[in-house]
Order: sequence, then C-alpha cells, then structure tokens
Amino acid sequence: MAVVRAIALGVAASLLLSGCAAVRFTEDPVEKLLLAQQPEQALSVLEQRQVSDRNRGLQLLDKGMLLRMQGQFESSNTTLEEAKGIAEQLDAISLREQAAASSINDIMRSYSPPPFELVMLHCVKILNYLELGKLDDARVEALQLDVLLKDKMPDKEVPFARYLAGLVFEARNEYDDALISYRKSYEAYKANGFTVPLALQLDLLRLTQYLKLTDENKKLQEEFSLTEWPTQKQVKEQGELILIIFNGLVPRKHETSLNVQDPMSGKLYRIAIPFYEEREPAAHGAQLAVGTTTANTELSDQLDRHAKAALDAEMPKIIARTIARVAVKSKTVDELGKNNALVGMVANIAGFVSEQADTRAWYTLPQQILIGRMRLAPGKQDLTVTLEGTSGEHTWHDIEIAAGKKRFVSWHWPASRSLIRRASQ
Amino acid sequence: MNKVFSVITISSALIIGGILTGCSTSVERMDVSEAKDLSGEWNDTDSRLVSEEMIRDVLSRAWLGEYTGAKHKQPAVIVGEVSNLSHEHINVNTFVGDMERELINSGKVEFVASKTERGEVREERKDQELHASDVTRKAMGQEIGADFMLKGTINTILDTEGREQVRYYQIDLTLISMADNRKVWVGQKKIKKFVTKPKFRW
Repeated sequence: MAVVRAIALGVAASLLLSGCAAVRFTEDPVEKLLLAQQPEQALSVLEQRQVSDRNRGLQLLDKGMLLRMQGQFESSNTTLEEAKGIAEQLDAISLREQAAASSINDIMRSYSPPPFELVMLHCVKILNYLELGKLDDARVEALQLDVLLKDKMPDKEVPFARYLAGLVFEARNEYDDALISYRKSYEAYKANGFTVPLALQLDLLRLTQYLKLTDENKKLQEEFSLTEWPTQKQVKEQGELILIIFNGLVPRKHETSLNVQDPMSGKLYRIAIPFYEEREPAAHGAQLAVGTTTANTELSDQLDRHAKAALDAEMPKIIARTIARVAVKSKTVDELGKNNALVGMVANIAGFVSEQADTRAWYTLPQQILIGRMRLAPGKQDLTVTLEGTSGEHTWHDIEIAAGKKRFVSWHWPASRSLIRRASQ
Repeated sequence: MNKVFSVITISSALIIGGILTGCSTSVERMDVSEAKDLSGEWNDTDSRLVSEEMIRDVLSRAWLGEYTGAKHKQPAVIVGEVSNLSHEHINVNTFVGDMERELINSGKVEFVASKTERGEVREERKDQELHASDVTRKAMGQEIGADFMLKGTINTILDTEGREQVRYYQIDLTLISMADNRKVWVGQKKIKKFVTKPKFRW
C-alpha cells in the first residue's frame, strides 16, 4: 500500500515538476525510410509489423501506397480494394469498440478513414488503373468517387478528385461527363480557397465551347480573364502527356496532453488530444521537358489542409469523448476506492496511463499533388522531370503518345521537413 | 461463493466457446444455381440470369428465321465488347462466357472465336505450317467470318440516402449485321436491388 502510494506520488510529482501540459511526438520507421526515398525498405518494415485487426485497414492503405511507389500497380489496387472493403464494414458503429473507447481510449476503435482519405483511396486506384492503361476500371472508380463525394463531402469536396475524374471521362471521349467533373472541381477549388489550375481553366473553356454552351463559356472567360485556349480540334490532333507528382508526405498527428493531480484527493487526471504538425515539402514544383518543349507543374491539391480540416471537424467529438472518459474513469476510481483504497489508486494510475490521443492516419499520402500537362506530337517521347529545390530528377523513355489520347505518368517524391519537430529540437 | 464460482465458470465457457466458434472458418457447399446476395453488388446469379434471358430472347426473334430462310444456313455470331459502364468492377469475362455458352448450346447459331482466341489459333496455324505433317496441317484462309456481332453495355444508376441504396442495373445488348451495320436485335434487361447497410455492428 505504501509502495503504491509512493509510486503514485512520484508520478504525480514528476508530472507537476515537468509542467501540466506535455507534447509527445510520434516517430515511425516507415516515415523515416520514405523521407530517405527508400519505399522498398519501408514496405519491408511495414509487412513485418504485426497489427491488430482494428488497424488492419490502415496497414493496407499504407501498403497499397508503398506498392504503387514501386510500380506494382496491380498489387496496389488489390490491396487498396481490400482496404476499401474494410472501410465499408467499419461504416457501421461498433458497440463493443465504442464501449472500449468510452472507458480506455479512442485507439480502441478500429481505424475508420476520414472522408478525404477514402476519396484519396479512389484517386490512387484511378492513377494505378491509368498507369495500367485500364480506362474502364478507372472510370468505375471515378463513378464510385462521385457517390462518395456526394455522400460524405457534400459541401467541401477534394478538388483534385473531381479534376482527375474529369480527365478520366475525357480520356474516354465522354465530354459531357468530363465537363461536369471539371465544373465540380472548379467549385471545389473555390470552396477550399485554393488557386484554380490554369490547365483546368483551359479545359473548362475548351469543353464549354465544344459543347456549344455559349453563355457559360462567356462567363468563364470573364472569371478567368482568358480569351484564348486550345480548341478541341487542336487537342484531338495531338496527344497529351499528364504527369502527376505526389509531393512530400502529409503531416503527422502528435499528442498534446494536460496532466493534473487533484490536491485534495490526490487523484490523477489526464486529457490527451491529437494535433497536426506543420510540414514543408522539399520540392516546390517541377519542370517537365520533352525535347525542347518544357512545362511547369501546377499545384492541384493540398492534402495537409484537408487533413487538418478533417481533424478540426472531428475535434468537438474527440473532446466530448475525452471528457466523458475522464468522468467515467474518475467515477470508477471512486467506486473501487470505497472498498479498497489501494485498488482505487491502481485503477487511477491505470486510467491515467491508458489515456492516449488517437494519432492514427494514412501517413503515406502526399502533402501536395502537382500536375504537369503537355500536348505533344504523336510518337515515342522521352520525358525528363526536374524537381525545384531538390536534386530530384527522373527520365521516362519511349512514352507512347497517340493523337487524341491522354497518357498518364505518376511519380512520388516523399521528401519533406517537419517544421514543428525541427523547431522543438 | 460456490454459486458465484459456478456462474463465472459457465459464463467463461460460453464466452470461450463463442470466441472459438467465431475464429474457425466455416465452409458450406452451395448449388451454383442458388441465389445468395451478400453485398448487393453484381454477382454470379445476375450474370447467369441476364445472359440466359437475353440469349433466349435474341434466339426467339425474327432476324434468325429471316437469315436462315434467305441463306439456308445458320448465322455465325461473335461476341464483341461488352463495356462495363457501371459503378462496380464487374468481371465482364464471366458474363461474356455465360452468353457464349448459351449461344453455342442453343444449336441455332454457329459461333466464332473471339479476337484474342483467333490470334492464338492463328499463331498455332502458323506453327503447323512449319512443323505439322501435310495430312494434319490446317490451311490459312479457311476461317468462318462472323455474320453478326453481339455487343453491349452494363450501366448502373445508384440512388443513395444514408444507409439505404437502390441499385439499378441496365444491360443493353445489340446484335449488329457485319455486312451492312444493321441492328437486327436490341435487348435490354433491368435489375433493381434495394440494399440497406447496418447502422451497428458488434
């Protein structure tokens, strides 16, 4: 009894001495390997990791992304499809997990991806199918994406997702569907406060002209302050190379906690919530070069902002659950302490230690998505991409460009810096 | 005390039993014609029922009698592309396979191998030119050209509200005359499913 009380007082004293608030940074070997541009080793580490059933979906998301980084697009899609199935099952509320989350911590719940991660799951699958030349399958994902966006993100969509869906429809010569997606993408860029990519503006002007939507075309000309754009005829005579770069890594969530001891009862209390760090991708943009023709990439989405928005939206629920949990734990300690003070004290320490913020997320996602588009003459072309601000450079040889067709190429450059962790060090 | 102990023992046994039952894989053999819908998505039953019904319809229409009456032979049919324009990754190959089986087994039409299959057979014929004996060698240029091509699309419309969803499938097939691009038959089959997702799970 005296020993336990001494330990409890020791823990409390150390907390009080170290201050009431604490920040705990999480490190992950997979992340470190990715920052060092070693996706093969990262996959190896991930596959050796034993995870509980409740984190199985999250592991599959990471695995799908790492497989794709190594060009294993079929395997990536199989893995992501499995992750999608798990996410669908987890859409229903688990009574057992809710009870555990109410009494222990939020990590006791299965990882259910927030809507923007589900959207990205479809986007990654689309990109895989496009790399495999499977346009029909990419279209299936684009349709599923449409259902998901309407259902889960009706107010503020992920603009890149609609942009990508538009490109898929246009690649299949479904111009009316492409225009609808481009319009929705444009609206999403405005709703998120992002800059609308110039290439998307030109797509909207071209298709509204081609589909004879004169009033809409005029309105868009005024909004974009553009008077010239490639016509549909010009576009059909050439091929188009579309490069999509996943730049940096989405920021990590860490834990901030408030640890206090009631001076009257000696009981320990802890509240822990997640927060996002600040990050900066190593590359600030990229330049594409095919022969003497060059083009710059445009920023098409910022997943760090979607991630933070998702956490902000979830925060009231997280805080409510945390406070409720503190009350439940305190009540339990009181009840147990009535009969046996030692048991009450042990329960208090256990409850205190078990209080952890849920910092899980799909961390192999990029921070930014860059798009570079080039209209090229039909034939085999060599593409060289140079990243700005880093030594990153890559060349693709003999890319087949066909008249009137779109050819998709993608690349990952996960190198980035965590500003907050660097500042704290 | 003994009573409490007994209750704990029985409860533990039940829980452990439940856990063990939940952990073991259960396999139950089913008749292939038995319909069992699990997710509400396109499944083997849809593929089989649609192909059977559509082929029954195409073989009962006027174009077949008109062709055999005029040409005094069975028409040669080929299945072309069936595009999946739905919200699901449907294995179109099994659907096409079901249709091919129905067409061949009807005995009312001749059936021509698909583009991919033809490529493989031609490769084999080329190989025979070099390696097979004169008696058994099959000559080039003796293939039967298809008279009609069957092609189509699978479309879906989803209407979702919360945990409820209506899944509407529309399968459109067209039989096109290879000689003059005439559409001699257009078939349509619709399937509608109401799917409710659970709100809670254990």
